[in-house]
Amino acid sequence: MDAKDMEYLTIALPKGKLFKLSSNLLAKIGYEAEGLTEKSRKLVITNEEKKIRFIITKTADVPTYVEYGAADIGVIGKDVLMESGKDVYELLDLGFGRCHLMMAVPKSERREKLTDYTHTRVATKFPHIAEMFFTRQGMQMEYIKLNGSIELGPIVGLSESIVDIVETGTTLKENNLEEIAYIMDATARLIANRVSFKMKFDRISAMVKDLRAILESEAETCES
Amino acid sequence: MEKDKVVLEIPYGTRDFLPDEAAGKRVIENQLAGLFAKWGYHEVVTPTIEYLDTLTMGNGRSLEPHMFKFFDKNNRTVALRHEMTTPIARLVASRLKEAPMPLKLSYISNVYRYEQTQTGRQCEFYQAGVELMGSSSASADAEVIALAIRGLLCSGLKDFKICLGQVEFVNGVMEQYQLPDGKKEKIRRSIEERNLVGLETLVDSLDIPLNAKEILKRIPLLHGDESMLKEAYGIALNAQSRRALDNLSEIFALLECYGVGQYVTFDLGIIRDFNYYTGMVFEAYTPGLGFPLCGGGRYDHMLSDFGNACPATGFAIGIERILLALERQGIKKPEFPKDVFVAYHEGRTAEAVTKATELREAGKMVELALSAQTEAEAKRCQKEMGYKELVYLA
Repeated sequence: MDAKDMEYLTIALPKGKLFKLSSNLLAKIGYEAEGLTEKSRKLVITNEEKKIRFIITKTADVPTYVEYGAADIGVIGKDVLMESGKDVYELLDLGFGRCHLMMAVPKSERREKLTDYTHTRVATKFPHIAEMFFTRQGMQMEYIKLNGSIELGPIVGLSESIVDIVETGTTLKENNLEEIAYIMDATARLIANRVSFKMKFDRISAMVKDLRAILESEAETCES
Repeated sequence: MEKDKVVLEIPYGTRDFLPDEAAGKRVIENQLAGLFAKWGYHEVVTPTIEYLDTLTMGNGRSLEPHMFKFFDKNNRTVALRHEMTTPIARLVASRLKEAPMPLKLSYISNVYRYEQTQTGRQCEFYQAGVELMGSSSASADAEVIALAIRGLLCSGLKDFKICLGQVEFVNGVMEQYQLPDGKKEKIRRSIEERNLVGLETLVDSLDIPLNAKEILKRIPLLHGDESMLKEAYGIALNAQSRRALDNLSEIFALLECYGVGQYVTFDLGIIRDFNYYTGMVFEAYTPGLGFPLCGGGRYDHMLSDFGNACPATGFAIGIERILLALERQGIKKPEFPKDVFVAYHEGRTAEAVTKATELREAGKMVELALSAQTEAEAKRCQKEMGYKELVYLA
């Protein structure tokens, strides 16, 4: 955030499954820009008329851009936000991108109790959340940080279990894994830099209000 | 044995200040020291290390994981100070116990915290601040806020905003719905963690009327000018929350007298550490910096933790953050003027020394050449080193 950037609102959007959902939702409240697609070669896409700037970043980097104030606002999954431990405002639950974090083990080697896994290896993309969870159970674990294809861990003998996000459970089933402990739910969140939220309060709070109205009206349509 | 390897790196989270940077820091510190003195605040210096038990007295427990700790000769745990308020409270409760109140103290010093290092947030950083002890009046609060604003202005910043809140407002509103202590604590924590989604979920789970839920959820959004404050009176239903709002109105009226009202915005969602602050709290923000420049508030319980009950209020400004904000806003960094370069021809050393001494006594910043030079050489040196003027003794 530069001094001259006071007139712009910079929004960080994550690549991947949340991109389309968030850009569609933002478009409904008039936050859009020409050429805003995930495949855009331009890294910064500006809507001069409405003074909005979009930046498209790797998912795990969204909280970083927002914490530093390089972006005022961001959309990010609660799982990634919590893992990052960044100091930002969590303004709104956007409801989409629903999944949950859990621990899974190979079906054939299931042990009786959760605590039977103490001091075993767990492969995960979320070592901080996993550690918080296991510490609360009084368990010490060996955390193996992986960046993708977590299910592979137990199959090739890298770990005894995994901690990962699950949407439908198909991947688990295909790999003969079974969920044995629920950790937390996650959905997409609207986050804001702590200074931007104060310096651009009127604009950001109006944005939250508009988004909330859209989300509520959509929820009603679903119910009826 | 292999000869010791030369270690050129410095420990994580620390930094060197090169001459330019150190000059910028020094100029700002001098300006602030001068300002604090003009307002009747006396500088104190306390030890860099304190006993851990002192620093964690009352509420510092939550900060303990962020402190640099080690053992002294007698195996007592000591720690590098993580801020200056606690050491000053200790000082006031001990050696300044008999001093006439109110006591106005200031400091400029380095403090230490284990942090995930990022720009403007190092493990060792510099703070300038004041503590006003012995008065619970709104005029004491207004004075420290006005002084903080003057401090930011004298450092060269023009564009910044002070957000002013009151922790008793939130406490009072929770009290009026008779929430159990456990729930109050959770609500405070979600506000402190800036987790408005968590706050909403938490409030929805409470067994209170719908309009009460709406009010609790709105707290972080109570941001604006005096009209917002008027609106807040509408949801402040008990004496505690109304007193908090009265207090803010009174402070603001005084800030208008100081001529700094235009920098201030009310923000009842500003929550700094709840266990620490007991009244008004404020933070200063500026464009170009993702974290606050300055923060402070009233902390009436801390001195009683040291056995000497006494109301207190104060603030701390981050020196590096000011320097960073100035740089990002393209404001010229304060620097020491380089006035005169004195050079001389072979055989004129004595005269050159006399000339340099005279100029220095006249208040100029002077560099004297270390050996005789031709005039051309002297001109080149003057230019390279950036002196405004050349005095050449031919």
